[in-house]
Amino acid sequence: MASRLLKQWNQSKETLFSQSAQRRIWLPVGIVFLLGAIAFPFIGTGYWIRVLTSAFMYVGLASSLNIIMGYTGYTDFGNVVFFGVGAYTTGVLVGQFNFPLPLAVLCGALLCSLYAALLGLPLLRLRGHYFSIATIGVMDATREIVTNMKITGGGMGMSFPIFDISPQMFNMLAYYIMLGLAALYVLASFLIRRSRFGFGLRAIRADEQAAGISGIPTTRFKVTAWMISAFMTGTLGGVFGLWFSFVEPSDVFDIMISLKFMIMVLIGGAGTVFGPVIGAFFMEIVSELVWGRFLELHMGILAIIVILTVIFVPKGILHYVQNRIGLKGILAEMRQNKI
Amino acid sequence: MLFTSIINGLLLGGMYAAVGVGFSLVWGVMNTVNLSHGAMIMLGAYTTYWMSQYIGVNPLWFVPVAMLVTLFIGYLLQKYVINLTMKSGTNMTLILSHGFNLFLVNAAYILWKGDYRSIQSPFSGQGLNLFGTTVPYSRLIVFVIAIIVAILLQLFLSRTKTGTAIRATAQNKDAAQLVGVNISRIYSITFAIGCGLAGVAGALMSTNFVVTPTFGDPFIGRAFAVAVLGGLGTVSGAVLGGLVLGLAETLGALAFGPSFQNAIAFAILVLVLVIRPQGLMGKKFF
Repeated sequence: MASRLLKQWNQSKETLFSQSAQRRIWLPVGIVFLLGAIAFPFIGTGYWIRVLTSAFMYVGLASSLNIIMGYTGYTDFGNVVFFGVGAYTTGVLVGQFNFPLPLAVLCGALLCSLYAALLGLPLLRLRGHYFSIATIGVMDATREIVTNMKITGGGMGMSFPIFDISPQMFNMLAYYIMLGLAALYVLASFLIRRSRFGFGLRAIRADEQAAGISGIPTTRFKVTAWMISAFMTGTLGGVFGLWFSFVEPSDVFDIMISLKFMIMVLIGGAGTVFGPVIGAFFMEIVSELVWGRFLELHMGILAIIVILTVIFVPKGILHYVQNRIGLKGILAEMRQNKI
Repeated sequence: MLFTSIINGLLLGGMYAAVGVGFSLVWGVMNTVNLSHGAMIMLGAYTTYWMSQYIGVNPLWFVPVAMLVTLFIGYLLQKYVINLTMKSGTNMTLILSHGFNLFLVNAAYILWKGDYRSIQSPFSGQGLNLFGTTVPYSRLIVFVIAIIVAILLQLFLSRTKTGTAIRATAQNKDAAQLVGVNISRIYSITFAIGCGLAGVAGALMSTNFVVTPTFGDPFIGRAFAVAVLGGLGTVSGAVLGGLVLGLAETLGALAFGPSFQNAIAFAILVLVLVIRPQGLMGKKFF
């Protein structure tokens, strides 16, 4: 694994073309899907527009987490911290300094990037679980600081300005913005995966020491990856705030949200481009269906899905679909994972 | 005021130690972060609650019962489910245990509803007067039992054959297997012990806090902090980690106001991680 990636890093120009050839099938599927998504608001109901809006949000979030967790191999439990910081910064800039909306979202995202850079320099030196725990710590500490700040409204939460357009228009607008961002971030993670930078990240994931020795600037790459991830998460947080028009610390700095998009990445397939997309859609739609029918059992059913996924398809759905692994292969793999 | 804070911090620390010991053991031996630790704490608390409701003697008698219940559940979970996935990566076992946590919490909601329940113990409301500071008996007992349990665990790990096998597995899994240790059995036993200790912690804390289905969730973060502060897998490390965390939280609250309690605790945690990633006790498991 490591040596293959390092070879690719050394000859990344050639592999760029040979790799893309075998996965050409994804392009038409993606385009059809995108067209369907663009047409949906004209045929679907308001309820499903909202469901899909949040599904697209999770596609974006899962894709951005995938860059640090899937590509680089640093399991980040606290990525939701950038979601919260993005939402709050946007809210403060729009509500109190009258920034135009896109500029406010952009500023929020840039602040997230800066925050990731400052945190990343010490924290990304940690490996494995230690990094994960440190990110939880950062998230909890940030939530408490935001709760105690005056400008954010503290524990009462913060309301965003109401826009002067009809609710239908507003929902449509939110839908298209989330769709656009999700598509953009999937494209970005596709391009990153194919780039020299992406090969470097995956080499770090396979074997960080070997990657460092063969000339990959590991620290710079890791911090950059986290900054990109933070930027993406931050913009989505800002748009989420504008869409929901109210945020509170316990909502946007919730470890459950972090775990949710982590599970999405793992179910779909960490380190792949479309895995997080599949995972996000699968979880959002299933969760929505279950939630509507069995309100009390909702959490338990999700838990069972998670448990079954880990036992039967630990490498993510995409891996089994792509390599056409059937029941036999799954059982063989289960025997390997058993201790 | 300072003295009161220190006493409170130590008592709180004893509680955190009880929460963290089992978590740290499982993490250190099996390299598994057991997110269902919180659910096990909750089950221990509920066991104590229901037993004392129906039998109605001093709830402390039910601490061993709570331990046996969660021990048994933990054993079954590890033996029949988690062992199936032990080689598919640490992230996956982590997610799996998160699934168990969700499942058990949901089951508790369905069985017992979200009502707030509290246990009346014969000593609640009373305290020991120590140099002008009142120390509630219920907290003092938690502290004492937590220390006793930690000592018993240490004796088990160092004096018994199974304990030695657990330590051997933690040090080098393959070498342990070569000398005849049954790894999957040791994993089941270790996980069972970890869950049993969570049950003890839950039983102890049920006399101090109201019991709800999400009773254990806030303690998972603390268990993390305790395990990392002390160094993974060591009993003495977990106790020390618990005490340090408890003291840091109460003294931090005294200095900066109670609203920054968590931020201080985690700032310390992150600091320790960056400066001494191997934990305060400073060596790799035993």
